[in-house]
Amino acid sequence: MSKRQLAMVMDLNKCIGCQTCTVACKTQWTNRNGREYMYWNNVETYPGTGYPKNWMELGGGFDAAGDLQPGVIPNLEADYGVPWDYNYESLMTESADHRHFQPHVSPTWGPNWDEDQGAGAFPQDNYFFYLPRICNHCTNPGCLSACPRDAIFKREQDGVVLVDLDRCQGYRYCIAGCPYKKIYFNPKISKSEKCILCFPRIEQGLPPACAQQCVGRIRFVGFLDDEESQVYKLVHKYKVAIGLRPDYGTQPNVYYVPPTESPAKFDAEGKIIEGSTRLPIEELEKLFGPEVHGAIKTLKAEMKKRKETGVSELMDILIAYQHADMFRLDNHYYQEVAKEQKRTPLAPVDTRYIAGKFTKAGGHH
Amino acid sequence: MKKLLNSLLSLGVVASAALAANPAITAVKVSDSLDTIKADSALWSKAKFETVILYPQTAIEFNDKKANALVANSKGKKAQVAALHDGKNIAVMVKWADKTKDVEQCMTSDVYTDGFAVQFAGSTAKPQPLPYIGMGSVGRPVVVHLQKATAKVYEPNGDKDVSTQINRQQTGVFEKELAAFDSKVASLAKTDYEKVFVAEGFRSTTEIKDNSVKSNGAMVHGPAGWSGTLSRPLKDDYVNLNGTVPVAIAVWDGSSMGRNGLKNLSTWIAINLDGQKPNVAMVADLTTDSKGNVAKGKDAVAANGCVGCHQIEATDGQNLMGPSLKNVGGYSIASYLRESIVKPSATIVPGYNRNAHPNMPWYNLEKGKRISTMSDFSHLDKNTLEDMVAYLKTLKAEVE
Repeated sequence: MSKRQLAMVMDLNKCIGCQTCTVACKTQWTNRNGREYMYWNNVETYPGTGYPKNWMELGGGFDAAGDLQPGVIPNLEADYGVPWDYNYESLMTESADHRHFQPHVSPTWGPNWDEDQGAGAFPQDNYFFYLPRICNHCTNPGCLSACPRDAIFKREQDGVVLVDLDRCQGYRYCIAGCPYKKIYFNPKISKSEKCILCFPRIEQGLPPACAQQCVGRIRFVGFLDDEESQVYKLVHKYKVAIGLRPDYGTQPNVYYVPPTESPAKFDAEGKIIEGSTRLPIEELEKLFGPEVHGAIKTLKAEMKKRKETGVSELMDILIAYQHADMFRLDNHYYQEVAKEQKRTPLAPVDTRYIAGKFTKAGGHH
Repeated sequence: MKKLLNSLLSLGVVASAALAANPAITAVKVSDSLDTIKADSALWSKAKFETVILYPQTAIEFNDKKANALVANSKGKKAQVAALHDGKNIAVMVKWADKTKDVEQCMTSDVYTDGFAVQFAGSTAKPQPLPYIGMGSVGRPVVVHLQKATAKVYEPNGDKDVSTQINRQQTGVFEKELAAFDSKVASLAKTDYEKVFVAEGFRSTTEIKDNSVKSNGAMVHGPAGWSGTLSRPLKDDYVNLNGTVPVAIAVWDGSSMGRNGLKNLSTWIAINLDGQKPNVAMVADLTTDSKGNVAKGKDAVAANGCVGCHQIEATDGQNLMGPSLKNVGGYSIASYLRESIVKPSATIVPGYNRNAHPNMPWYNLEKGKRISTMSDFSHLDKNTLEDMVAYLKTLKAEVE
């Protein structure tokens, strides 16, 4: 366990599956150098195959006794999908009769191949929701436990899990060990790479690219020990944000507000079945464990309270009025860490989100 | 092997004669310099090849489900090993059968390559006891030369040349300019995956990147399999090789998803440098079998409850507490086995990661030193100890 822990909360009631986060991450980190196939951030349709294909069935994580479970390393073509590209060049060079715009491989699989399919029978009870996923920066990371070279570490200062590319020799046990399959093999450099929670941005007062760009404003970022942070309030105070698949035993630090709002079912005549809901609670229980019941209860109660009285701190948080409240990046803290490590403290490039437990709101450094 | 062992046990025969130990190899002295020798050099016709058996590494199991299934019934592999020296350099050739040629194409996520490694004992005040076979042990370093089969590929981060690290589709150029970009990238391609490591125990392995060790490795695939060659100086900052050079050989099979611990390895092999005085004690240690009684040793291993923490024979259940011993006779030398029974903390295999099995602490840290949780068996009498070592030396897979 690290000294402090950064966390992200994602409100699944508000994710519209626009993939802006995915693109923000891709252009920032993974459009080059052998990372082309990787999506450190992806948004998948649930229920669905997910990314990589059927990741929940590929093992890894820990059993109840705390022992690391064996896992399977996905195949680039069959499970992740080849990032195909098009023959743009031929449009410039070929004569008009020969021009044929086509992908460089015949695609057989890719992320979101089954986007929006979901489950159930249309139109009676079909349903799905979007599940955005990044590395969970776990407190007990499966990838770290699997590495025989000590090439994966968890930063003391904020719990970000990183690969030491100098030590990594590309054995890929980390991929088998991560139950979320959120660590990837870069075949060009023969090393593993993963989401770094945009730590170079965080240290300079900028939230991760995926969170900053999110148009639905579903992502909250901050330190879990900072009681003023909205992540603290959502995770610990109201207990409405829960880690994904807590049964894997890795203690993930990305938390989800479970989707509570789904339309009612239709009967055979196409009429609304009053009081029904399309999202089966069993699915949410599978993803978030038994605590999901308490979270849903609180969310419903606060929603009602807000409707009746106009007052609910929880609802105000989830409305996500201000980025400055949603992101508390504790810039002063990072400056102190840098000084301790005898590095030059970085000046924030954006002073809007620098508040935190050790940083006065709006403070100037 | 199991059958043979059982029949030997039932006859009460001391097995040492039937289970021949490894031969010593003579590194033939040549006058030509060996620092750039390749597999096709005519000098190898002077070399004397000996058969060395490489056993599957099974001390610990890794967490790759598919790979574990592929190696579940791995057998020992025969390798032909020879050496040359020129007074300044030593060259080693390893030939082993491998029907599938697995060369890294740097294209996908779950493909592995063939490769081989030669391990040398680092220079220490006393040459014996030798380092632990699996990447050495504290105070007894090893230097490992690793060569993998790799096709010509562009390794974008190697030269930190940012302008060529982008996708060709994102260059914003077409036609001639794009062709120029492609050829620049191709010219930066690296053809070799050759690395040198220093280690004082599995997991401490660190790549030597300051060019302080010269390494000349290569792999050639033919109808019979791979020929791997390696030459390096007899002396540098890390090793001081003379008289008798102990080496260990490992090979990886890409089609069995081999990498790191998923490999076949030899025990320490003695290479005597032609024209130099051999280290008689070391040669004896590496080429002579234990004189103990195998049947009595098996009884003693059972009586002392070793199976409580170790998988002993392949038919025993897996045990996460201590390393599996089912191939320990294949890659361990008798002196290491003896030492580990009476001084369990002398060499502690750090294992793959204590976080992986937090309830099975096979060592505790006391004042920064790893202290084995295995009890000390120094109370055993000498004969019993020798019998146990003789039995443990019989624990190894069949040879293919």
